[in-house]
Amino acid sequence: MIPVSNFLYLAAILFAIGLSAVLLRRNALIVLMGVELMLNAANLTLLAFARAHHDLRGHAIAFLVIATAAAEAAVGLAIVVGIFRTRHTANIDEVTLMKH
Amino acid sequence: MNPVRATVEIGPQAGMASGALILFWVFAVIAVAGALATVTRRNAVTAVVCLVGTFFAIAAEFLLLYAQFLAVIQVLVYAGAIMVLFVFVVMVVSRGEADTLWKLQGPVTKTVAVLAMGTLLWRGWHALRSFQPARLDPPPTGFGTVGGVGQVLLGDFLFPFEAISILLLVAVVGALVIARHHHDKDKAAQP
Repeated sequence: MIPVSNFLYLAAILFAIGLSAVLLRRNALIVLMGVELMLNAANLTLLAFARAHHDLRGHAIAFLVIATAAAEAAVGLAIVVGIFRTRHTANIDEVTLMKH
Repeated sequence: MNPVRATVEIGPQAGMASGALILFWVFAVIAVAGALATVTRRNAVTAVVCLVGTFFAIAAEFLLLYAQFLAVIQVLVYAGAIMVLFVFVVMVVSRGEADTLWKLQGPVTKTVAVLAMGTLLWRGWHALRSFQPARLDPPPTGFGTVGGVGQVLLGDFLFPFEAISILLLVAVVGALVIARHHHDKDKAAQP
């Protein structure tokens, strides 16, 4: 069988890649994609431990994480669209004011 | 179980295990390659397509972890719904402007960053190295199916399950309010 640590290493690598997207990229959409990648890596870890301990609660938490990620994506993308309407940019370095 | 039967069973199980390991590596490479492409592409549409590939590979990894229900949910929600949303927003927002990477300036900042990165890698490496390999016997029947996960979701996790439905409703209404055109208010005030 596949060692559970393999999945943990894979999740760690995916999380690091997602984190690098959040830290390095300036395009708000790519930053949001990095967040999604990190959430997926966390889910992979949850499912790996659920499989190791034969405990379905990890699956339930992963399900809730996916639902929260969907809500986060909807609101985050709406904010990106709203900012683009008023500022005509998706670069997060140029968005420094909270007013119009 | 007598020893003869055990030796007979080792053969196909060993073959199945190595097959699963090959599948793990194939999908792991696809996932990491897709993730790297997502981070490095300048074009946001290309990044979205690469991310969809990554999500499919992660769904396959979920299947290898006996999480059938979550693999299906992963494909439906992530590779389906969320990424379609991303494609639409990319079409609205993308202007093809130059996207420069964030850079560190100054020797002090760079030293701090290298130290922090080294600490993170060292701690993570030791955390993963000290991980005790748990039992690898196949889980009981019903593990990861809709029935099994549903029992837990509507049992121990009933309150979070209901709360998440309210969260989704609030998020969708909030997204509509944020992304809506705000010209109607000005038009109503003018006459």
